[in-house]
Amino acid sequence: MAKFVTIGERLSTTAPAVNKAFLERDPEPILMRAKQQLDAGAVYLDVNIGPAESYGPDLMKWAVQLLQSNFDNVPLALDTSNMQAIEAGISVYNRAKGKPIVNSADAAGRIEYIDLAAANDAIIIALCNGEGIAADNDERMAYCQTMLERGLEHGMETDDMWFDPLFLVIKGMQDKQMDILEFIKMLSDMDLKSTGGLSNNSNGMPKHIRPIMDSAMVAMAMQCGLTSAIVNPNDLRLMETIKSCDVIKNNILYADSYLEL
Amino acid sequence: MPFKKTPQKFAAAMKTVELGTGDKKIVLGGESVLPFYSFDAPIENAPKVGVEIVDTLLEGAPAQMKEFYAGCETMADMAKKAATIEGVDFITLRFESADPNGADTSVEECVANAKAVSEAVDLPLVIMGCKNNEKDAQIFDKCSEALAGKNILVLAAKEENYKAVGAAAGLAYNQKVGAESSVDINLAKQLNVLMTQLGVNADSIVMNPGSATAGYGFEYVISTLDRIRLAALGQNDTTLQMPIITPVASETWNVKESMASEADMPEWGDVETRGIDMEVATATAVLAAGSHGVIVRHPQSVTTLSKLIHALI
Repeated sequence: MAKFVTIGERLSTTAPAVNKAFLERDPEPILMRAKQQLDAGAVYLDVNIGPAESYGPDLMKWAVQLLQSNFDNVPLALDTSNMQAIEAGISVYNRAKGKPIVNSADAAGRIEYIDLAAANDAIIIALCNGEGIAADNDERMAYCQTMLERGLEHGMETDDMWFDPLFLVIKGMQDKQMDILEFIKMLSDMDLKSTGGLSNNSNGMPKHIRPIMDSAMVAMAMQCGLTSAIVNPNDLRLMETIKSCDVIKNNILYADSYLEL
Repeated sequence: MPFKKTPQKFAAAMKTVELGTGDKKIVLGGESVLPFYSFDAPIENAPKVGVEIVDTLLEGAPAQMKEFYAGCETMADMAKKAATIEGVDFITLRFESADPNGADTSVEECVANAKAVSEAVDLPLVIMGCKNNEKDAQIFDKCSEALAGKNILVLAAKEENYKAVGAAAGLAYNQKVGAESSVDINLAKQLNVLMTQLGVNADSIVMNPGSATAGYGFEYVISTLDRIRLAALGQNDTTLQMPIITPVASETWNVKESMASEADMPEWGDVETRGIDMEVATATAVLAAGSHGVIVRHPQSVTTLSKLIHALI
């Protein structure tokens, strides 16, 4: 099995400092956060520029070029509801270190993102959702099948479709957590890759609890076959857990310094 | 149904390490396929064969080998002769007598010998010590200094002395450094990590993950080599992509199959032939499992192995 793929989530307009830097095209805060995430072991970086309507394409191009020129063509996940901005980003993207990821499609209003990824030889994150959160795993699997077919029709390789089960918040949806894990197992049994916004599960919990809960969730999810997650790589406990699980799963060879690699 | 050939492609490659200088320099590694799988992708640098010269010269050497080196009185004499062996790619000097628990030959004498050899031959040089960690560190340090610019390989740094050896050979004198572990894949990886953390360039490291004689716990050697190559290529583990070199002679000439006289073991046949067979069999197996270079002692072994390699690649 391949090593778990971490996608760093800290370049997002939901963070006011990042939003401001994107709007003002101020490289410093962006580069600083990118470096922190890469130093901590992130493989991909997510670039979430928000809805970015009119200025989206320019902004995404700027962000892709800024990050790839400063960090040896770091592979990126392009995250926006503006499809033109994603295409603009891919048009200047260097694939030396990995294909771009389109973040994300779903089985309803955003299904065309799959077509976009297929047309641009990109990886798609396919959220197993329709108009609302799936009620159960049957519904999740139906969404998965719809998107899988769509991708195959457009010539995608299944390895380039990373299905997102949608991690749900424990505070409020505690009874759904095992469903999510079982769904990851179903994806894994179908030989499909998976990813998702892991820290959703610990939303609303005290700050000191979240790394603990996120680490437990990622370990259980990796046991079920999760192949990637969108995470905060600067959460040391979480990253140590991921590396340790990678060792236990025989995805990486153990050495005493494995946590430093 | 027609046979469809599906190459086993890896999106990773072993690193290349150059030894020596000028026309005779050699390159170890570089391929992105399993050993000898040249049908999957080209192997640009075929495995290399080195001949070992011990500082005790021909003490205890078998008859044909003594005959081959007849008249040689120094390591340099032997090196000159060894350079004429068909198929030899590099020369290894082993300072066995430097052991403080043995003859305790001085570091200065070792260095003088190494220098004389480097002036006598233009093949790449590999320096081995006496298996005493402290003494070896001194020998490697001083030989690296004396042979600066010759791009030698010191074999090898171990967990106990990697700081001294890495700092001297790798950092101060820009030579190539071996990383030796004893058939322990986790330690093999760890040593590479520690050496690179020390500042030694990853492209200057060659691994010796340990050896044994065929038949003597040898399956562990083979599975270790296998797992290194699979992690390096299959998992793109950059900490295990250093080329591998295996000293074979220092293991195989010490087992009963190579030593028992024909008088004691008449049914085993000629003792020298057995010694060569053990050396060639062991070297062949480690090459097939992933070594990029083997070190043998008998001139016939060198030629046999070289022919084998070039018939396959």
